Amino acid sequence: MYLHDFYSRFTLDESLAEVTGFNPYYLSIESGLEDKLMVNGARLINLASNNYLGLAADDRVKKAAVEAVQKYGASLCGTPIATGYIDLYKRLEGKLSAFVGLEETMILPSCYQANNGLFSAIAGAQDLIIVDRYVHSSLIQGIKAAGCKIRPFLHNNLEHLEGILQRSTGYRQIFVVTESVFSTEGSVAPFQEIVQLCQKYNALPVIDDSHGIGVLGKSGRGILEEKGIEGYQGIYTASLGKAIAASGGMISGKSALIKHLKYYCPHLVYSTALIPAALAGIEAVLDIIDTEFGLLKKRLTSYQQIIYESLLEGGFSVVQAKTPINSIKSGSKENTFIITKKLFEKGILTTPFIEPAVPQGEGRVRLIAGANLSEDTIAEAAAVLKEMGRL
Amino acid sequence: MTLEQRVIKTLKDNLEKSPEISLESRLLEDLLVDSLDRMMLLSGLEDEFSITIAEEDFAEVATVSDIVRKLKARLSD
Repeated sequence: MYLHDFYSRFTLDESLAEVTGFNPYYLSIESGLEDKLMVNGARLINLASNNYLGLAADDRVKKAAVEAVQKYGASLCGTPIATGYIDLYKRLEGKLSAFVGLEETMILPSCYQANNGLFSAIAGAQDLIIVDRYVHSSLIQGIKAAGCKIRPFLHNNLEHLEGILQRSTGYRQIFVVTESVFSTEGSVAPFQEIVQLCQKYNALPVIDDSHGIGVLGKSGRGILEEKGIEGYQGIYTASLGKAIAASGGMISGKSALIKHLKYYCPHLVYSTALIPAALAGIEAVLDIIDTEFGLLKKRLTSYQQIIYESLLEGGFSVVQAKTPINSIKSGSKENTFIITKKLFEKGILTTPFIEPAVPQGEGRVRLIAGANLSEDTIAEAAAVLKEMGRL
Repeated sequence: MTLEQRVIKTLKDNLEKSPEISLESRLLEDLLVDSLDRMMLLSGLEDEFSITIAEEDFAEVATVSDIVRKLKARLSD
């Protein structure tokens, strides 16, 4: 009976999918990220992946991954601190550090683990973490796990942030945590000003650049390059599964801190190391960004603009973004699902966001057109979006 | 400014949308306050009234007037 009581607590509320006749989650994807995506047996235009530069299925990246598998096998079956720290892993740490312009880097199995493990390793009950109200779940959960005082500030609101900093005294250390690009609608943090406020009030900035690395900056180095921040003294995290087109997460910063974390961050120490195929794929992507970023970014920006204008022409309410993200303001969760469903039925795969990923009643449907898509595919998507809004 | 007015102003200053707020406003249903908003509101009230608030003490508040009642009890201690 006790087992029945336990398991009966776990029920899935599927009412939204029932009401709208559509469940956008856990769709069966039957192809890689080529020009079109096979989903549930249908070929769809993929405006849902974070494959910004379109390198996930690039032949050079695939080749590097295959060669790594041939040399090292599928996995090292060990944590980095034990048998998982292959020469490729070490070399990539150095390349990533150089790429973002920071002293040292550690690579984790995901950015969720990076953000989740970071704060309990660096903060405790005597500390204060001030955090943008809209940051990703991985940061919120990681911050909560640290057991310190938490004060959210209004989204990208420097006045509110400074007010909190002014009033916060008596803490061992104050951290200010934000994201470079807020992924549901593409807003960009005023990070240079945040760094300046941190300097003024002796706080330590922490930035998650998951949607900025490989996208922002004149050569794709991310938020620090974009904002012209030199000699950054804070902590930097990023996903390696978006523009960098593999999987994993990174934490970069001052050498002393990273060396400490490599022994005291359990999310790294007790996790099997990122597999050779992913490590080699990332290395290949960094090489491609070095030589082709200008071209890829130009295409990405052009596609974003075409999709944006098509959405407006179709009568959608769209967030004005400064990044390659287009975001429809869809309101209620029901409407968010319905728009996603209609787009799906018209052959376009998008990403819906409902609470708790966004505030209640502020649903978003996100569209990202990766640089791998052909001009014909973008034209096809644009025609559908223009028509869709009139339905 | 009365305590009620100070509470309402603090709530307005600490919510993204600066909605219409009255004593009868329900935090969840009317003001769409989620767990992070609640954290932000309580911190704002700490600053406004120069007190420390334990989250669990305010876990049950459902309306703005509930907050006022809690604060009055707290400030009269």
